[in-house]
Amino acid sequence: MSNQFYILRVIAIDHPIKDATTVTLEVPEKIRDLFNYYPGQHLIIKFKINEKEVRRSYSLNSSPFNEEALQVTVKRVQGGLVSNYIGDHLKEGDEVDVMTPRGRFYADIKKYAYKTYFLFAAGSGITPIISILKSVLLASPNSAVNLFYGNRNQDTIIFKKELDDLFEEYSDRLLVVNTLSDPNVWSAWKQWNGRKGRIDSEAVNWFITNHPPIAQSTEYYICGPGAMNISVRNTLLGLQIPKKLIHIEQFVGSIEESNDSINPIDNALLSVTLNGAAHQLSIPKGKTVLQVLKEAKVNPPYSCESGVCGTCIAQVIEGKAGMKSCMALEEQEINQGLVLTCQAFPTTKTLNVKFN
Amino acid sequence: MNSKRMPILPVEAYTSVDWFEQEQQKIFGNTWQFAGLVEDIQDAGDYITTQCGHQNIVIVKGRDQRLRAFHNLCRHRGTQLLRAVGKKQKALTCPYHDWTYDLNGQLISVPEKNTEFPDLDLDQICLHKASVDIWRGILWVHPDPNADPITKWFDGCWEKLGPHNPKRLIEYPDTYYEKIINANWKIVAENYIDVYHLAHLHSNTLQMYNHAKAEYGFVGDHYMFWEPLSSEYKDNIDGLIPTKRIQEMTDEYIGAYVPWLFPNLGLSEGEGSWNIFHAIPLAPDKTKVIVRTKLEPMSNWEFTKQQMKSNISWRGIMGGKTKYGNEPDTNSDDPMDWNDFMEEDVYVCEQQQKSLKNPLFGVTRTAIKGESTVRTFQEIVQKWLDS
Ligand code: FES
Ligand SMILES: [Fe+2]
Repeated sequence: MSNQFYILRVIAIDHPIKDATTVTLEVPEKIRDLFNYYPGQHLIIKFKINEKEVRRSYSLNSSPFNEEALQVTVKRVQGGLVSNYIGDHLKEGDEVDVMTPRGRFYADIKKYAYKTYFLFAAGSGITPIISILKSVLLASPNSAVNLFYGNRNQDTIIFKKELDDLFEEYSDRLLVVNTLSDPNVWSAWKQWNGRKGRIDSEAVNWFITNHPPIAQSTEYYICGPGAMNISVRNTLLGLQIPKKLIHIEQFVGSIEESNDSINPIDNALLSVTLNGAAHQLSIPKGKTVLQVLKEAKVNPPYSCESGVCGTCIAQVIEGKAGMKSCMALEEQEINQGLVLTCQAFPTTKTLNVKFN
Repeated sequence: MNSKRMPILPVEAYTSVDWFEQEQQKIFGNTWQFAGLVEDIQDAGDYITTQCGHQNIVIVKGRDQRLRAFHNLCRHRGTQLLRAVGKKQKALTCPYHDWTYDLNGQLISVPEKNTEFPDLDLDQICLHKASVDIWRGILWVHPDPNADPITKWFDGCWEKLGPHNPKRLIEYPDTYYEKIINANWKIVAENYIDVYHLAHLHSNTLQMYNHAKAEYGFVGDHYMFWEPLSSEYKDNIDGLIPTKRIQEMTDEYIGAYVPWLFPNLGLSEGEGSWNIFHAIPLAPDKTKVIVRTKLEPMSNWEFTKQQMKSNISWRGIMGGKTKYGNEPDTNSDDPMDWNDFMEEDVYVCEQQQKSLKNPLFGVTRTAIKGESTVRTFQEIVQKWLDS
């Protein structure tokens, strides 16, 4: 896979909801073949912001089966450098540097297949999922889609309108169940009569049990915060769904983008309670909490080291830590003081964390 | 041997054990087969079995609501694993030595493993897989785990079927019909698709349809058929229909959709009912037929009332006589007196089979249009046997 960047032009900017920006990119005729993609794949885009070069990957929400232009949708992250740049400054006619589509999370859709696709998405995790959804409806006329889509409230459902329109057209093959973790109650005209709560293990069991597939070949695609991905996957495995049918979007285009605006404190003092023992360590410049613990050989729990799996979670008791990326945590958990130690830098002179 | 033709297939195709065996292997063990209706398997752990030629297949529902199909054959010494039907199994256990498989077909326990099979790796052993799918509210199985999708097998058929939604309709237990017919399965099939006989054999039993306006033909190996209601019936449908009218059967669609899905499943999708007609070959001259009927949901009272109303109205129109002008009498020894089109068909199938051994048996001609379907069907059977 080539790591070359190509210049693409922004031909439209839209806002499917207030805090999200859909960027439509035109691919010049002569490089169009290079930009063929499978639904579910992502683009890596390079921006120059404040003279600094930053790269981000975004899942394509367009479908290769009906749109020639490429589309990504970016939700604002509080304090996020790139998402706010896109939201505030990117405009029609701008040019951006883009690498060709890639990624192992994709659906290979066959015209004559007879399949049921179970899709699970939360927040902006919908972007690769809606690409798969549209592609199945367009390109595999006998296949069906069951989507379980989680959001905070009525106003944060990206692609609500598009999904409603698709349902109109494909009601015999498309099923969408929305669930809201915190529905607005104050506005009577938007009263929520749908399902409430997050996409957790119980919800997944309910969804699967109550929406049996017609076509018996099935596949399962999951894209949301890391903690959700893991709980959905484990629940599906618990229902004896073969591993090879379950696909998870782990590293790109997902909820949170990397946060470069942390100002770590050099040589902060770290106190840790781990496996019943207490340790005092110093955190040198540029090291994460987990790196320090690993070097001290005190057996910290961890697995992916990318902020995805959630194995390295700890509770902050005192002080503060900033995280580069935190796909495995929901905002609420962050507010409760949970951190992913593989992503955490101290932002106060002393930091006290406890592992469970 | 210069054998007689029927008119395409030789007479032996309907009488010989050798032909029967060949068909079992090349047709019934090699095509998608009817296994039941979707509602036959309700809950996780429920299973049914079905015969595909010489291979018995189990379909079981997993906890993920997905169906799995396996060959009903223990991997230990080949014993048939399960009996006809079962409910809420957690695992599948062989009766012989209790080898046990999970609902994915994976071997999970072997009695006395440590002493008797110390180096057996259970993870390596799984039941032989087969294919299963749902199409038109029907369960289908195929012995080949990599069979082409069922939608490909029926490509182009859906559009020719009725507007019915079989999943919504309800099967009433006393509508179940089962009968052993003393005739080859192909005689039964050919009778089902014989358009020529409709106006004659059934002159007093299927007169509610306008056979002259029938539209029919083959899509792939499957026979498709549609005919409108007679104008008398259509104009007085509310009084004449024997059951509640199927909701989807609006005026635009109304009529009888009566396809024969190769090799051995007839459907009969009408204005008031949805039926499957499953012809199971038992021997060269024996076929078991099972008919299952689904209707609009209704109470017993509604059901009885509508039937009485319909009977009376039809008697007013038809005089209520049989083909030979007799009063209908279901106690008569002669099935032709029963005034039931199905019994009329059974009767002629058995009569035709009987004649096959007569030295004078022969087919002089078949009708250009009304029996073209029979010729095409025989060509299709021949094609499968040659493959
Ligand atoms: S043959 Fe099945 S357990 Fe022995
Ligand atoms: Fe008949």
